[in-house]
Amino acid sequence: MSRKTKDEMTPKQRAAAIANGEEVDRMPCNPNVANGVARVYGCKISEFNTSAKTLAEAQIAGYRRFGYDSVRVFTDLFPWAEAMGAEVTMPEDDTVDLKTPAIKDPADYKKIHPLNPYKDGRLPVHLDAMKYLIDGVGDEVGISAAIVGPFTNACFLLGVENVLRFCYKNPEAVHHLCQVSLESLIAYADAAIDIGLGPTISEPMSSCTVISPKIFREFSAPYLKQLVDHFKSRDRGVVMHICGQTADIWEDIADMGVAGFSIDNVASIEECKKKIGNKTKILGNVNPGTTMYMGTPAEVRMATLQCIKEGYDSPKGFMPMSGCSLPVETPFENIDMMMDTVRELGYPVDPEKLDRMMKETEAELEKEKA
Amino acid sequence: MARSKEELIAAMGNAVLEMEDEEAAALAEEYVEAGYDAMEGLTEGLAKGMNRAGELYEEKEYFIPELLLCSDAFYGAVDVLRPHIQKKTDSGEQMTAVIGVVEGDTHDIGKNILKIMLETEGFDVYDLGKDVPTQNFIDAAREHNADFIGMSTLMTTTMIKMSEIIQELKNNGLRDRVVVMVGGGPISEAYADKIGADGYEPDAASAARRARELVLAHRS
Ligand code: B12
Repeated sequence: MSRKTKDEMTPKQRAAAIANGEEVDRMPCNPNVANGVARVYGCKISEFNTSAKTLAEAQIAGYRRFGYDSVRVFTDLFPWAEAMGAEVTMPEDDTVDLKTPAIKDPADYKKIHPLNPYKDGRLPVHLDAMKYLIDGVGDEVGISAAIVGPFTNACFLLGVENVLRFCYKNPEAVHHLCQVSLESLIAYADAAIDIGLGPTISEPMSSCTVISPKIFREFSAPYLKQLVDHFKSRDRGVVMHICGQTADIWEDIADMGVAGFSIDNVASIEECKKKIGNKTKILGNVNPGTTMYMGTPAEVRMATLQCIKEGYDSPKGFMPMSGCSLPVETPFENIDMMMDTVRELGYPVDPEKLDRMMKETEAELEKEKA
Repeated sequence: MARSKEELIAAMGNAVLEMEDEEAAALAEEYVEAGYDAMEGLTEGLAKGMNRAGELYEEKEYFIPELLLCSDAFYGAVDVLRPHIQKKTDSGEQMTAVIGVVEGDTHDIGKNILKIMLETEGFDVYDLGKDVPTQNFIDAAREHNADFIGMSTLMTTTMIKMSEIIQELKNNGLRDRVVVMVGGGPISEAYADKIGADGYEPDAASAARRARELVLAHRS
C-alpha cells in the first residue's frame, strides 16, 4: 500500500468545492485527535494550561502531521466550570479532570456567577491560542472552539450526581444552573466567534446512557436549542457531539437545526441516517478505544470503510470521524491509516471501489488472524 | 388501623421503587413501631423494591437519576430499620466486597450503582472510589478480608489495570481467597476470561446477583 503523505487540496478548498458539487481529491475526515497533539509536537499536556502558543503550535503540528480536516481548541470538558469556581486536577502529562464542583453546598446554587471569558481560569489561554491558530493555518483549515452544553456544565458546577437528583428534587436549581451556564457558554463562544472560529458542542451528560429522553427534553434540550439559535443568529452552523446511546433523541437534536451531529460508536450510523440524515450531516463513528487505540491499521481501515459504507449516501452529508476524542496514546500509524483510507477511496465515493477496498481489507484481516 | 406486616412490606418496596424517600422512611418507622421483624422488612420490602428498580434500569425504563433517587429512599429507610436488626450470631452470611474504579479512570456512575446493588444483595461494601491505584485494591482486600473484588472501568486505555490487579493479587497470595469480577463499557466476558477474572456482567443488578452466587459457591 502506498502512503500518500500530502493532499492535493487544503481542507478549506476541499469543503468549498464539495459545497459547489465539484469533484475533489477525497472526502473530509476527522480522526478527532485531542490532547494527542502533544505527542506530535513533543510537549507535556499540562503546558496547554498556561501557554497559548504551545497549545496552538501543537494543534498545528497535529494538523500538519496527519492532514485532517478540522482543527479544534479543546483540552478537556472543564474549563468553563473551572472559570466559574470548580477545582480541577492538572496532571503533568495527562488530561485535566474535575476535582470539586464549583458549588460546595447545594443550597448555595444561586451564588454562581457567569464567567468572563477574557479573565477567568484558562479561558484567556484558549482565546489567545485561537488567535495564533487563525494566524497560522486559518486560511487553509476550519478552526473550531469546543464548548460543552449547558446541562453538562451544570453537572460540573454542582456535581454530576447532585444534578441528576435535583432533576426530580429541585428542578428550579437545575434550570438556574443551566441558564447561568448558557449565558457563560455564549459569552465564551462569542469571544471565539469574534476571533473567527466556529463553535462545536459536546454534551456527554445528555446521553441516553445517563438520562432519559424525558429528562433531556425538560432540562437539557431547551438550553441547547437556545445555544444553537444564538449561533445561527451569528451565522454559525454548529456540530454537536453526544457520547453514548442517543437514538431516542436524534430527532430532537436534528430539529434544533444543528449543522451536524457526531455519534458515538455505540450508536448506528445506518439508523441515524434513516432517522435524521435528511435534516443534518452525520459524523462518526470509528471506535476510539477498541479500534483506534488498540486495533491494528487493517482494523482501522476496515472500520473507516464500514462507517463510510453506512453513511456516505446520507442526504445531508457524512464525514468519517472517531466516536469520541482519541485517547492520547493512540498510535500515529492508526491515525494515518484512517486518513490514507479516505485518500485512497477518493470523492465522490464510488460504491464499487468501496466494496473492493473492503474485500481487500477483509483478506488482510484474515491473514492477520492466521 | 394498624397495617399488617405484609401490607407494610409491600408499601416499603413500592416507596423505594417510586423514589418516595420520605414515604419510605415513614413506613419503616411505622413498621418498627408495630414490632415487626426488621430484617424481613429489609430483605423482603426495601431490597425487593431496589431490585425491581434495578430491573427497570436494565429494561431502560429507569435511568441514572431515577436509580439514584430509589437508592436514596432505600438507604433512608434502611437507616430506620438498622438499629432494630438483630445481629446474626453466626457470620456465615456475612459477605464483604471491595470495589473501585481502576487507576486513570474517573467514570464512577456505574461503580456507584454497583455499590447500591451489592448492598441490596447483602454485601458489606468498601468503596475505594475512582482512579484507584492498584496497591489500594490489594491492601483493602487484605485488610477487610474481602470475599469479593469488583473493578470497574469505562475506558479501553485503563482496562489493562484490571489484569495488573489480578496479577498483584496472585503475587500476594490473595487470588484464591477472593472472587473477582470486572465490568464497565469496554469489558466483556471474553476479556474477563482472558485476564483470569471469575465473572463479568453487563449491568449492576445482574452483577450483584452473580457476585452473591459466586461468593456462596466459592465458600462451599
Ligand atoms: C457520563 C460520561 C462521562 C462523565 C462521567 C461522570 C462520572 N462521574 O462518572 C464525564 C462527562 C465527566 C466524562 C468524562 C470523560 N469521558 Co466519558 N463518558 C460518559 C458516557 C456518556 C456514559 C458513561 C456512564 O456513566 N454510563 C452509565 C453507567 C451506569 O454505565 P456503566 O458505567 O457502564 O456501568 C454499568 C455496567 O457497566 C455495570 N458495571 C459498572 N462497573 C462494573 C463493575 C463490575 C465488577 C461489574 C460486574 C459490572 C459493572 O453496571 C453499571 C450499571 O448497570 C460514556 C459513553 C458510553 N458509550 O458509555 C463516555 C465514555 C465512557 N467517556 C469517554 C471519554 C474518552 C471520556 C474523557 C476522557 C473525555 C475527555 N476527553 O475529557 C473523560 C474521562 C476522564 C477520565 N480520566 O476518566 C469514552 C471512553 C473511550 C475509551 N477510551 O475507551 C466514552 C466511552 C465515550 C466514547 N465513545 O468515546 N464521561
